[in-house]
Amino acid sequence: MATIQIKAEVSGSVWKIITAVGETIEPGGTIMIIESMKMEIPVICEDGGTVQKFTVAETEAVNEGQVVAVLST
Amino acid sequence: MTTETTPPQDWSPEVEELRRRRNHARALGGPEAVAKHHERGRLTIRERVAGLVDKESFQEVGSLTGQGKYDGATLTGVQPAPYVMGLANIDGRPVAVGGEDFTIRGGSSWSGDRKKGGQGGFVEDLAASYRIPLVNLIDGAGGSVTSINKRGHAVFPGVHGFERSVELLGKVPVVCAVLGTAAGGPAGRAILSHWSVMVDGISQVFAAGPPVVERSLGQKLTKEELGGPPIAVDLAGTIDNRVDSEEACFAQVRRFLSYMPSNVWEMPPAVASSDPVDRCDDELLRIVPRDRRRPYNMRKLIEHVVDRGSVFEIQPTYGKALITALARMNGKVVGIIANNPMVYGGAMDVKAARKQVHFVELCDCFHIPLVFLVDVPGFMVGRDAEAAATLREGMRAVYVGLQASVPMYTVVIRKCYGMAGMGTTDKNGLDLKIAWPSAEWGSLPIEGGVAAAFRRDIAGAADPKAREREIEDELRSMASPFRTAEAFGVEEIIDPRETRPYLCRFIDTAQARLRTTLGPKPKYGVRP
Repeated sequence: MATIQIKAEVSGSVWKIITAVGETIEPGGTIMIIESMKMEIPVICEDGGTVQKFTVAETEAVNEGQVVAVLST
Repeated sequence: MTTETTPPQDWSPEVEELRRRRNHARALGGPEAVAKHHERGRLTIRERVAGLVDKESFQEVGSLTGQGKYDGATLTGVQPAPYVMGLANIDGRPVAVGGEDFTIRGGSSWSGDRKKGGQGGFVEDLAASYRIPLVNLIDGAGGSVTSINKRGHAVFPGVHGFERSVELLGKVPVVCAVLGTAAGGPAGRAILSHWSVMVDGISQVFAAGPPVVERSLGQKLTKEELGGPPIAVDLAGTIDNRVDSEEACFAQVRRFLSYMPSNVWEMPPAVASSDPVDRCDDELLRIVPRDRRRPYNMRKLIEHVVDRGSVFEIQPTYGKALITALARMNGKVVGIIANNPMVYGGAMDVKAARKQVHFVELCDCFHIPLVFLVDVPGFMVGRDAEAAATLREGMRAVYVGLQASVPMYTVVIRKCYGMAGMGTTDKNGLDLKIAWPSAEWGSLPIEGGVAAAFRRDIAGAADPKAREREIEDELRSMASPFRTAEAFGVEEIIDPRETRPYLCRFIDTAQARLRTTLGPKPKYGVRP
């Protein structure tokens, strides 16, 4: 089992986490939405996998490149 | 009885020696060095040239160069010069191609009567004199302090200078593929190119390698940590593109050159397109969400507009708030500059600005019309953005855009605000601006501007929040793109599905003008 770290592509704040721990995400699926520059930017999981944990919570500020979730494949 | 040797009747002995000398050249650094090179997962310079160019099109120049070994007057071997170069064809068009041979002294510099490669080398003269593209296959570490020992003095920097390399950038396409560890001069040359590429796992590029860094700063870093593709391509944009194999690298070099003319005196190569000009994809009608806060996939949008399969992205992993790509429309080469709403809502940050500057200059140099697909809320804001000099780099993008003289077509997809918005049009040129019904523009977005401009009005109201919304709604109703079109402030509002035929018509028409403005572009003024 490999784990993949999902990183935020932009700085901003976590607006909505739209998946749950244990949930399986399809390749290209959205894990959470970050609000940045007044836009709702989806955090996309390119390869798909199962959510192991989130490393941020809703309303929390995130930086570009910060790990926001860990998935297993 | 004495045996008399018959003197040769022709030049066969010399031709035989030529054959032997050529075989020495083909052997590169010898079987052991070549095997070691292969073990590291790397191709030799001759395999690289063969993999890159049209079959059997390589005409080597300087195959006899090297260090001959003699027993008296008899040749016993040759250590070839660690640089292989010559003429070749790529897709039937001539190029000058050359690269270091890492199997001989790590591809370090070699001093014959005339340099073969590197700055000021013959391969650069070949490209300049014949006005053909130059492809550098870089795999050398450059200068070494040991040269002081050999010469008895230290060489002044620039004795073998970059003058020719710089001249080439205004005349012929220059492509650099970094295929090993490049430091010093070879690293510098990789940057002096119109487009550069490196290969994951085998390529690193830096001003100085780990030993120098450790000595200077006490930082212990591996070559990969210092200058591997995640740093050099994704983070720094020092090198433009990254690929996962040498074969993929050669394919990308060929692809890049397929959009380029052989030199600035020629038109970029047009091809017959099988994609109908009047293809009006329905997806374009719904690609932009009505909710202004929701982004969309700009790359998909581009695919719906340009010729199918024609997109070649430059710097896809750097400065992701902007997409720059070579593409074709009705077979003619175009440069696409599109804001990416998925990254900072498409705001122009320092990286996006640098990316735009380079791409505009590339297209201007080779007479490639530019198409801006605009969705830019402005320059990136915030302390980090200010500290990174976003304003200066952003204004440089505006300046370079205004100096460019290729036709520019501006299609406003959604937001077009402020100075970054200004950087997407050419007031001195064709200045054709068309817009989708989803377009909005102004000095700054209304929601940010109202609170500042109507502060007293809002503060004095019985319900300040309601008053703020009221003013916003009133201004937004007047900000409709149709009202600007009434004033001919944009030339047309189009059905998004009409984007392709509309642009193709104008780009086809621009070909005649482009043909009358060929040649080098003089540069003047001081960039901000």
